[in-house]
Amino acid sequence: MSEVRDIEIKTRELGVTFQDNAGRDVTALTGVNLEIYKGEFITLLGPSGCGKTTLLRSIADLQKPTTGDVHIQGMTPKEVRLQQKFGFVFQQPVLFDWRTVKKNVELPMEIMGYSKGERSDRADEMLEMVGLKDFANHYPNQLSGGMQQRANIARAFGLDPDILLMDEPFSALDEFTKEKLHEDLLRIWRATNKTILFVTHNIQEGVFLSDRVCVLSPHPGRLSAIVDIDIERPRTLEVKESSYFNELVTKVRNSFEGGSV
Amino acid sequence: MKEKFEVLTNKKWFSSLLWILLLIIAWEVGAFVVANTKRIPENVLPHLYQIIIAGFSTDKVTGDMTATQAVLSSAAQTLLRGFLGFVLGAAIGFVFALVMKMSGVLEKVLFPYLMLIQLIPVLGLAPIVLAITGDINVSRVIIAAILSFYPVATNTLAGFKSVEKEKYDLMFICAAKPHVIYTKVLIPAALPYFFTGLKIAAPMAVTASILVDTLQGDGGLGCLLSQSLKHAMSIYVFWLIVFFSAFVGILVGKVIGWIEYGVSPWKRRA
Repeated sequence: MSEVRDIEIKTRELGVTFQDNAGRDVTALTGVNLEIYKGEFITLLGPSGCGKTTLLRSIADLQKPTTGDVHIQGMTPKEVRLQQKFGFVFQQPVLFDWRTVKKNVELPMEIMGYSKGERSDRADEMLEMVGLKDFANHYPNQLSGGMQQRANIARAFGLDPDILLMDEPFSALDEFTKEKLHEDLLRIWRATNKTILFVTHNIQEGVFLSDRVCVLSPHPGRLSAIVDIDIERPRTLEVKESSYFNELVTKVRNSFEGGSV
Repeated sequence: MKEKFEVLTNKKWFSSLLWILLLIIAWEVGAFVVANTKRIPENVLPHLYQIIIAGFSTDKVTGDMTATQAVLSSAAQTLLRGFLGFVLGAAIGFVFALVMKMSGVLEKVLFPYLMLIQLIPVLGLAPIVLAITGDINVSRVIIAAILSFYPVATNTLAGFKSVEKEKYDLMFICAAKPHVIYTKVLIPAALPYFFTGLKIAAPMAVTASILVDTLQGDGGLGCLLSQSLKHAMSIYVFWLIVFFSAFVGILVGKVIGWIEYGVSPWKRRA
């Protein structure tokens, strides 16, 4: 690629060491050097224990690195967080039972001090985008798991963050709901032009969604390969049946280190 | 026929009715046994109709009041003291829970004391409180408050602790200030727990108020109750008080339930 692209996130020799219950050091992540471009869809892929969530949390300032550092738009993760430029989607919907779907979407905007009218307009727009317009005044316990996760995504997009961090957001959903949300997420991403970091342990999911798949391997958690996914966009579900898609899946699978997992 | 019965048993009023019927049957069986074995059966367990007759009787039990009038006029002051103590205790309980949530050190220091206060019997606590306050009515309110505040404090604290890590993470990502986390996350999350605490505390406040009435004269349900038990007046006054306090206890629980229902719209639509 000849065009010059802006680097949004850059990690340098990033490492995280935890202490386990017995007080021994456990290396969750070591020596991660990664450059993520602005507007890119990046997947962090790997088996459990490979440090993919730790990497995501380090970028989000939810985890302090033990070694190395993270730079985002030339700032530290903390500075970026305090400017509220992150959107975070958890594996669980993390909705607030006592707020309607719309009020849930408005919550980060309330915290940031958006005016009432602005909050309401923006929440409506986000709910329309994720297809929950008719459920704005429902409470979370009235929604299905898939709808709850849509509300969660709407909330993360509500603040118009520069960077969206998604930690296995679809892993608890059934296959049909998941595929629908994949298509929706790609549509929203294209419309909003965010940088997305997506954590998953599902190879097909990573390949289908991403521009690049970062393969992480465990013991110790490290970045072992980056696979370019140069499938044309916009992608539809039929892409998954193409032989090229399956070639890429195989390529990603073969780039895990440490043998079978 | 069988299906109809199943539909009926699923109704809430049906189970309440069944429950009341069983209670009446058990009471009356007991009353019959007592009537045939004890010398003065009304001191042990009178028939329900005897209590109802006593309730509607126009005979004066004190100078100028019937049994029902005597119970209701004494109830006013006892329940007022109980209510004041309950509100005070609930408010203090909530504040204590908040303080213990804010500071882990304070929680470790305070909690054992709270448990200790709870362990002192009310009748032992009353003279101490009276000695400190010097006023019997103030000390009655304070004792109701002491009994109310513990269930409210512990339940509310459990509510604060029920908030999952992800919610804190989300607030952290939003760069929310601590007071925002309290007002928008922790306090609403603890609200159902707070109400559970209130439901436990309210009948305790009523019972405690009646109990501490007996410590000194000058009115209240407890005074009336002990006079009746000492046969200074009709024993049926005692039975009326028993039923009246049970009724108040149930009513207070219901009222708190309605208030909770009113402030928690999300529970209505589940």
